[in-house]
Amino acid sequence: MAEILKVSNVTKHFGGLTAVNGVSLSINEGETVGLMGPNGAGKTTLVNMICGSYPVDSGKIEFLGKDITKLPPWKRCKLGICRTYQIPRPFPELTTLASVCVSALYGKDRPNRSFEDAMTEATHYLEFVGLFAKRNVLARDLTLFEMRGLELARALATQPKLIFVDEVMAGLNPVEAEKAVRLIGSAKEQFGVTVLWIEHVMAVLMRAAERVIVLHYGEKIAEGPPKEVANNPMVIESYLGRS
Amino acid sequence: MIYVGILIVVPLLVYLISFIWPPAINLLTRVIEANLLAAIAIPLALMTISTGRMNFGPQFYIGIGGYAAALLSIHFHVPPGLTMVAAALGGVIFGFIMSPMAIISGGLYYSLLTLLFPLLFLEATYIFTDLFKGDTGLSGVAPLVSTGNFSLNLLSYAFISLTIMLVYLFAMDKIFRSRYAIQMAAVNDDEEVANSIGVNVNKVKMIGFTIAATLVAVVGWFYAHYYQAFSGQIFLPLSFMLKIFMVTMLGGRTQIYGCVIGGYFIAFLEMILIRLTGDMSPVLFPIILLILLLVLPEGLFGLYRKRKYREYMPTLRFRR
Amino acid sequence: MLGAVETTLIYTFLLGSLYLLVSLGFSLICGVLRIFHLGYAYIFTATIYLTWMFMTIFGTPPYSTTVLIIAIICMLAVQAGLAVAIYKGLIVRYLRHEEIIILGLLFLAIIVEQAALRFYPIQTGVYLETTVIHGVSTIGQVTVSNQLIFAAILGIVIAGLFVLFFLKTKLGLAVRAISYDVYSSRLMGIRVDRVFMFIFVLTLIPVIAATLAIAPIWAVDPYMGWGYMSTAILVSVLGGLGNIKGTMIASYIIGFVHSVVGFVFNQPVYMGLAALVVVLVMLIVRPQGIAKSETVW
Repeated sequence: MAEILKVSNVTKHFGGLTAVNGVSLSINEGETVGLMGPNGAGKTTLVNMICGSYPVDSGKIEFLGKDITKLPPWKRCKLGICRTYQIPRPFPELTTLASVCVSALYGKDRPNRSFEDAMTEATHYLEFVGLFAKRNVLARDLTLFEMRGLELARALATQPKLIFVDEVMAGLNPVEAEKAVRLIGSAKEQFGVTVLWIEHVMAVLMRAAERVIVLHYGEKIAEGPPKEVANNPMVIESYLGRS
Repeated sequence: MIYVGILIVVPLLVYLISFIWPPAINLLTRVIEANLLAAIAIPLALMTISTGRMNFGPQFYIGIGGYAAALLSIHFHVPPGLTMVAAALGGVIFGFIMSPMAIISGGLYYSLLTLLFPLLFLEATYIFTDLFKGDTGLSGVAPLVSTGNFSLNLLSYAFISLTIMLVYLFAMDKIFRSRYAIQMAAVNDDEEVANSIGVNVNKVKMIGFTIAATLVAVVGWFYAHYYQAFSGQIFLPLSFMLKIFMVTMLGGRTQIYGCVIGGYFIAFLEMILIRLTGDMSPVLFPIILLILLLVLPEGLFGLYRKRKYREYMPTLRFRR
Repeated sequence: MLGAVETTLIYTFLLGSLYLLVSLGFSLICGVLRIFHLGYAYIFTATIYLTWMFMTIFGTPPYSTTVLIIAIICMLAVQAGLAVAIYKGLIVRYLRHEEIIILGLLFLAIIVEQAALRFYPIQTGVYLETTVIHGVSTIGQVTVSNQLIFAAILGIVIAGLFVLFFLKTKLGLAVRAISYDVYSSRLMGIRVDRVFMFIFVLTLIPVIAATLAIAPIWAVDPYMGWGYMSTAILVSVLGGLGNIKGTMIASYIIGFVHSVVGFVFNQPVYMGLAALVVVLVMLIVRPQGIAKSETVW
């Protein structure tokens, strides 16, 4: 399987705090990789850097062989990287249909795409996440689960090759959580995306991920198949503390 | 399409009727003023939505267009058609140069900067007074229309101003129904997210800003040729800015059809106040506007909007 | 050469201290309440013309000092009441819609200016005899009015009192806390609304003091507020909105620029422009201003 993302020794400081310290990882096409770590480990910062929201202090990021370390976020999106947000950030004044339509129109460079075609495509993505019934509802009027679905639809509409899913489970009840896991699995199948899944809930990653990376205080402390990582003493210590 | 039909046919009819039965001069000047105010507020809506910030100094571009037209007309006897091109060009250049402000600064700082620039321009007209005649204003600008008959002239000006306003209105309507509007709405709502889903936020802001600046500069051009004079003292200070903003506010902030209503409302309110209260009107006018501002936060359009369910319309967001 | 240095130093001190007085209030309101008090200009105009109004009510020309003092007290009362009314009526209601606050305050300033213009046009000869120290002093080659020196010293004293207030008192601590984080301050039990109102009224004091001090020596007309407000804006932006340390440094920088351009190069016309250029450069290089943080101290 080809390697699509390669992060080399990336570091980020916020004033005196080192959020990410020399992290390297690589992701192959078609994988589902889990990213774990206690709160404050630097997971979201790492994702922000790969997506372009934060500049990198040192290190290199390569996507599909291209060096994207200095590219602005929208260019990275056109290349095929997209993300969802941990706390959903819908476009408050846009309807769900309009929100997904923005990604459909601008996610990839398609200068001859018409507005109506993009709208139609957007409805496909809405249908996929089950929000077709709410297509004319303002995005801020949705429930949490629906907003997560909207985030996913919006990200998928940019036709990404690599998608970062940021803590989808937070705040969902067991029924919704199950639906969310199945949704992401079926997104992988139907749209052929590679998924980097940031998650706290171990059980989910055990089932869904082929490989798990664990961060702690901004450094990578473990990497490997989920069962192996779950039994890694350093990982256990980082979550539960030393006894 | 019915609305389009009405908006073309009605003015044409009015114009034709006015040949036979000329309306009062006062009415015509108010109509011209109303059209021009609306013609400033409409591009301002574009600027606001595309940058996601409120520009507190749109009259800066009136100054650019007006002075460009006036100076070229007086010193080089350039005909009005070409001065319009010059005014538009001025708008493009200055709009483009100043558009990075919308990228770099936000919230309070952006409001400050945009507020200060027209005042800086006014200062410059005082300092370089041989060029701009800051204290007295430039006079002797060629008129747009001179048929010899005063009321016919005025009627023509009214029609031209109406045309400009309608052209802007239709253009903005088209833009706000197109895919560019969705892009701008995304930028207006959440820049960072829009950036991450592939929208080139900086390009959207700069283009919106520049186009709006150009359109406003053309209105400045009209003012110069209409009054056959141009003085920064009338158009650059805060009092004019407040008038423009009241038109915007009364119209429901970014609703372009509301801007037309707002423009006519303000123009005729001014006339009524002067008729009724004479020399107290400069004091009463801002008082009434303040009351309107507080009582109708969403403008006259808000009264209409409260009836309908909240539909998708990009609204104004003020960033810290 | 020495004359230029002397002139610069003296005028920097004088103008800088004066600008400090004028800008302190604006900067505080920006920093603590986080709103743009674009109507700041009304305070200057209201001070002068309200005092004049009360003077004409209580006495006849030539006005005695007692009448002046009574008028000033009445003016203070009216201004305080007006500030409270503005706070309760406008700011509290529209804290979420900042455009309305900004426009409303601007309207207020225009209303005050137009009312002053209508009722006391320039011919009325409004003049407040508030000179505390008469005469002029000559320092080296520079001759300045004593009143100006008094105003400058007053500026430093009041600024010093403000700093003491913010550093040493409990209420000052509350203000500083609010400027760091409003929500946490609320959680800590600080009555944020009350403190906001207090600050809003407190910031009247430096402005009124400055206006009364320089009224007899500098021109007084209904449009005077805007010039001072522009200076206040420039100083606040340069120093970092809301930061007192920054405002203090910035007012002397602007004072320096004005002195050099106005009195050393003798081009008073370019004073405003020069200051504006300096601020613009700063805004491009370091938008948050001189201050290290966006908090009061």
